[in-house]
Amino acid sequence: MRTSILLCPIFAEKFAAIYLSSIVDMMQFSEKMRRSFNIFLSALVVAAFVGVGEVSAQDGEKLFKANCSSCHKVDQNMTGPALQGVEERWAGNEELLYLWIKNPNAALETGDSYVKNLYNEWFPKGGLMPGQAVNDEEITAILAYVKNWVPPVRETPVDGDALADIPVERGLDTTWLLIVLFILLILVFSLWSVRTSLNNIQNAMRASEGTEIEAEMSFATKAKIWFLKNKVFVSILSILFVVYLAVSGYEALMGIGVYQGYTPEQPIAFNHTLHAGENGVACVYCHTGALKSKHAGIPSANICMNCHKGINRGRNDEGTAEIMKIYEAVGWDMDNQEYTGEEKPIKWVKVHNLPDHAYFNHAQHYVVGEIECQECHGEIQKDYTVAGQYAPLTMGWCINCHLETEVKMEGNEYYDEIHERLKENGKEELKKYLEDGTITAKELGGWECAKCHY
Amino acid sequence: MAKDKKYWVGLEELQENPEFIQNSKNEFAPEQSVDDFLSETELSKTSTNRRDFLKFLGFSVTAATVAACETPVIHSIPYVNKPEQITPGIPTYYASTYFDGVDYASIMVKTREGRPIHIKGNTKHGLNNGVLNARINSSVLSLYDGQRLQAPMIDGEAAEWSIVDAKVSKALQNAADKNGNITLLMGTNISPSSQRAIDNFKAKYGEEVVKVVSYDPVSLFGIRKANEITFGKSMIPSYDFSEARTIVSFDADFMNNWLLHTEYVSQYAKNRKPTGDWMSKHFHYEASLSLTGSNADVRVPLKASDEGRALVALHNEIAGKTGGSSVSVNTDDLPMNAIKMTADELIENKGRSLVISGSNDPDNQAVVNAINTLLGNYGNTISTTKEIFINQGNDTDVVALLSDMQQSKVDVLLIGSTINPAYSLPNSDDFREGLGKVGTSVSFALWQDETATLCNVISPDNHYLESWNDFYPATGHYALAQPTIGKLYNTRQYQESILAWTGDSTEYREFIKGVWREYMSGIGAEGLLFDDFWYNAVRNGSVDVQLPEMVDVPELNMNAVAASARNAAKVKSVEGFEVIIYANTGIGDGAHSTNPWLQEMPDPISKVTWDNYIAMNPADAESMGFNMHLGQELPASTATVTVNGVSETLPVVPQPGQKQGTIGIALGYGRGANEENIGKAAYRTKQYGGYDMDDDGKKIPIGTNAYRFVNVANGHMNYFVGGATIEAAGGEYPIATTQVHHTIMGRDSVLKETSLAVFKNESQDAYNKPHRLLVHEGGEMVKKDVDKIDLWADHPVEGVGHHWGMVIDLSTCIGCSACVTACHSENNVPVVGKDEVRRGRDMHWMRIDRYYSSNMSMEKGEEMGLGAIDTYREMEEPEYANPTTTFMPMMCQHCNHAPCETVCPVAATTHSNEGLNQMTYNRCIGTRYCANNCPFKVRRFNWFNYKAYDKFAEVNPSQDATARLVLNPDVTVRSRGVMEKCTMCVQRIQGGKLEAKMAGKPVQDEQITTACAEACPTNAITFGDRNDEETRVRKAESDKRHYYALEEIGVRPSVSYKVKVRNTEV
Repeated sequence: MRTSILLCPIFAEKFAAIYLSSIVDMMQFSEKMRRSFNIFLSALVVAAFVGVGEVSAQDGEKLFKANCSSCHKVDQNMTGPALQGVEERWAGNEELLYLWIKNPNAALETGDSYVKNLYNEWFPKGGLMPGQAVNDEEITAILAYVKNWVPPVRETPVDGDALADIPVERGLDTTWLLIVLFILLILVFSLWSVRTSLNNIQNAMRASEGTEIEAEMSFATKAKIWFLKNKVFVSILSILFVVYLAVSGYEALMGIGVYQGYTPEQPIAFNHTLHAGENGVACVYCHTGALKSKHAGIPSANICMNCHKGINRGRNDEGTAEIMKIYEAVGWDMDNQEYTGEEKPIKWVKVHNLPDHAYFNHAQHYVVGEIECQECHGEIQKDYTVAGQYAPLTMGWCINCHLETEVKMEGNEYYDEIHERLKENGKEELKKYLEDGTITAKELGGWECAKCHY
Repeated sequence: MAKDKKYWVGLEELQENPEFIQNSKNEFAPEQSVDDFLSETELSKTSTNRRDFLKFLGFSVTAATVAACETPVIHSIPYVNKPEQITPGIPTYYASTYFDGVDYASIMVKTREGRPIHIKGNTKHGLNNGVLNARINSSVLSLYDGQRLQAPMIDGEAAEWSIVDAKVSKALQNAADKNGNITLLMGTNISPSSQRAIDNFKAKYGEEVVKVVSYDPVSLFGIRKANEITFGKSMIPSYDFSEARTIVSFDADFMNNWLLHTEYVSQYAKNRKPTGDWMSKHFHYEASLSLTGSNADVRVPLKASDEGRALVALHNEIAGKTGGSSVSVNTDDLPMNAIKMTADELIENKGRSLVISGSNDPDNQAVVNAINTLLGNYGNTISTTKEIFINQGNDTDVVALLSDMQQSKVDVLLIGSTINPAYSLPNSDDFREGLGKVGTSVSFALWQDETATLCNVISPDNHYLESWNDFYPATGHYALAQPTIGKLYNTRQYQESILAWTGDSTEYREFIKGVWREYMSGIGAEGLLFDDFWYNAVRNGSVDVQLPEMVDVPELNMNAVAASARNAAKVKSVEGFEVIIYANTGIGDGAHSTNPWLQEMPDPISKVTWDNYIAMNPADAESMGFNMHLGQELPASTATVTVNGVSETLPVVPQPGQKQGTIGIALGYGRGANEENIGKAAYRTKQYGGYDMDDDGKKIPIGTNAYRFVNVANGHMNYFVGGATIEAAGGEYPIATTQVHHTIMGRDSVLKETSLAVFKNESQDAYNKPHRLLVHEGGEMVKKDVDKIDLWADHPVEGVGHHWGMVIDLSTCIGCSACVTACHSENNVPVVGKDEVRRGRDMHWMRIDRYYSSNMSMEKGEEMGLGAIDTYREMEEPEYANPTTTFMPMMCQHCNHAPCETVCPVAATTHSNEGLNQMTYNRCIGTRYCANNCPFKVRRFNWFNYKAYDKFAEVNPSQDATARLVLNPDVTVRSRGVMEKCTMCVQRIQGGKLEAKMAGKPVQDEQITTACAEACPTNAITFGDRNDEETRVRKAESDKRHYYALEEIGVRPSVSYKVKVRNTEV
């Protein structure tokens, strides 16, 4: 549900963009269309005719993304300068601008002072812009797109925000409990008062009647009498209590060293839900080690920069602040779009800590065993904003999986001969293995000590 | 209570003791401040009472529980900018080259997460075909030695490089200005780029001013000198052992110390298998039993002083039969039978034989040249066109330098990083005195050693794993060394220092590139091609350059040879004991004596660890009344050796095979006699930790400095000296040896050996009879093959997947122990120190059992009418004079019916379906039942927490935070109370299988190998899958020589052996 809430604004945004651009379209190019009374209908018609020949501003966005966006942003400097207001800056010199876009060298050769300045300022940062394979019409479309660019509507954290949901729910839970408890207390107190008052009245009545007041018994005596009266109940209760103690004691002891759910605070609040979930970035894009090594590895900051060199704003201010931490670590000067060389390694907190004497290899499980990351790490793309330990990582948990998991023999020549020998072996024990039609990790030795301990 | 009755509390009151009366008035004891109370010395002797103990116990248990429940915060810091080729968790290998003046090898350095952790040979490139020795693969440990110099020093104080440079440059300039003397005293320099740097240095300060003196601690000057005499050129030719059918070595330890021994071992091993077309025959003449001598087919004990005469006699024998002129020689006391036999063999293999000598006497070497010329070996097994450039040490120059120094003629002395003359010169006192008279002395040493301590300036060199370097060890072969880690300390390569003092600030890597660009321009690596060429050279570690063929038969100067032969023929032996000074297998010339791995590695011959000793023939020792049997509680007797006014006291180890009338003392011990900071492991330690101190409170070095016995005569060093007296010093000294039994006592099911004649001519039953046991079957007794009798059922998946196994060829195993240190490095085996080794608690997963032959046998005993017990007692004694020696590597045999597995009460040792005997440390509770039930005695128990317990602070490198970086992260560091043993490098097996699975291909033979098999210089150890019909291991199992140790007990080992075959007639 949370995901869908988060996705809504995206759809809205996309829709709005399409809608807006169609309006722009109509205003600029189509006299016929402007006369039309049905705006929506005309927008659709334009969309239908886009591919036919006319270049529209709707293409402007596409063209911008295809040709310019790897170095330029509309509102910010990147490898190249921000493009907002580019037409104003080149006002009166449009031809040269078109030439510059298509063939920067030729534009430079004209000796125009603006071009020269532009070159001197930006060449050291990103080199000379390569000439773009676009025609004049397409350039016009791009410029139109830039001119009419509207900053995307950013989310602001509101009450209904998915991320804020859980704490609110939890808060309600405890509040309700407290209220109930409070009511109960009041109830107990009032009943107690009633009882005392009744006693007093009774005593007063007896006193007035002249009957002797019963001697006050001590609490201990009362308790004793009560215990004697309810022997069975008391013994059942004490047995239950002992069992409870034993069970909880056992569980507490077995839980030593098990850190399921361990979610330490990290120096950068990396959001897995956002990256792996919404943006659909594959786990191994960043955790490259899982492809060949025993460690999946915490990604080095240069991997972050593959994307974040361009993406320098988060969904909200908190997100932006986290991205800035990456820049600080790699020493990225955002204004000048260059590395300063001052690196500050990020001191992450390790989440999954295996015991020293246990060996685990990511490549074996991910590459050979074709186990999804989620089987051990949980639906990290949905459930975890910051990485946490999903599995208990106990030996019982490990070998249970080895017991149930079928070895992926298909298509792996390594297993071919082993499989053949297994089938032809003729040993009783092995026939048992084959009976259910699957060969599990355990059956091939996945329960042996030296598979994980050496 | 009646008033007349008096009650008293004790006799004191009754007797009205005045002290009591006084005290009785003070009801309370006088106040005592807490400080007073605590400062009382008696307090430390009091013991905690029960209540306090329980309080402490309760508190600590609670504290421990609370601490255990808290989540430990472990930080993980990834690269900011990860290099593409480095993936955490996967090793990266770099090709490099090792050269320290003695050992030369092309190596592969394994690094994990940027740390070098293991060294193996480079099998694809280099002269040595992947061969290395224990010293080379242990050298990775010295990188992390915390005692290494961490900054340059001036007069014993740490200094800045700029100040050092200013000071040295000024001294150099002053010397140059007054036309003085600047001397570079270096170990053999075979680096073209270093040579260029020195040439530039010379050019700056004047060709006349700068002198270069080459010095080798163990000199082979005699060979160069002899070649100068006989062929007119001071050079060392290359030898080809792979073509030599008869190899005759006079005291040349060519398997471990002599010249390019790494190359020779690989060549030698090729023809030591009895199944080839031919098997080489190896004669060895020597006084002390060396590693090479113990592998000879025919070993002849010979005094070093008689070597000259024996060579002349051999020459005469050959000359007599091939028509050469002979030189008269006194053949008294010479083993003439052996010499005649040797001569016959040599003549039979004319042109396909090789005679070499380890002597440093040019006269002896000249006779060797003459013999090789007579045999036509030049141009066949010896090539003078392909020279060897190592061992350039020039004794004459060194002697001259010493006298210059003493006459204050040297203004600046620069001392190289691989040498330590204040320790290793025989007349080191003269050197020390001379050093005081040198204007400015500069040392490039890595440690503040004997020499560096005395120098004005120390400009510490990088460790070789931190350095760029190039080498030209032999004609046509260039090699490169590259750094595998950044500099750990503030050190600087010595070449960069020399460049800096020449006013050149080039990085040394660029400098080498520049030199190579020039050198390689003639061979098609010019211009743009050079970059490719360079990257290839760095990747491969070496480059072979084709040179034009040259005529290879030099002309012998007959007159010079005759003169030399007359000198050699002189009788040199004198009355009294002859002291043989030799470099042993582990410590070598002493540069490695602070390496705990090498100190703990048992000497291949004597099996003694951590000590220097007098090796004496047991017959001599017996007659002098020294202790004959050494063991845990059986110490050695000490004796004092006095010769030429030098006397040293050492324990006596009876050594079978030592020539009677000689004693052997190893070089390389007695380092740091003045408490120099050379490393923690160089000093004697006490039984329960801490250093042993002498009367002056100084640390006592291990052993004594045998270089002091070396004598300088006729301009060269002699590594033997006659006329020694030996006296019992009256003391006893515990010796830590890993083997106290020396023979197999007729248990030929452990070790099988035979002669080539028997192997060739007789059936398998004669030398490798399969065991058959009597069993009761069908009402009668029948003999059945051992492998047909079973108590246990097969493991369920046996024969399905892999079955890892190992075959060890005893014919090619030379006992060098490179596998022992390789295993140490790969498997994080702890170092336990001398005291623990003495108690039989050494932790080596792999040991090499060394067995001597005995004069007695069961048959002989029967003939002599001895009883069984007496016969066994006799069989326990090795042959004193000249036993044959056999080596047998022994590690966990990974029995398929393992006795250890059945007795473990907690199933900590179990069997895998791949044939491995698995040891699970976290399950082991330390009952040691398994070790007791192991027929091969290969299980090791962790008695202590070696990495933390005080007792091991001086010996165990892991007690040092830096040295822990050498640990292999794939192998658990075992703690106290658990059993451990060879795992057959299961981490490598698992890694190799994973590699195969990821590639989607079956495991190929040789794809996975163990550390010992990889380190074995002779490929005696073969590892592979016994279930795969194509593997070498599987094929070896059908070999006629193949057998299992202790086959009759039916444990079905996965490790098996091949019968040792010696190339003899009987």
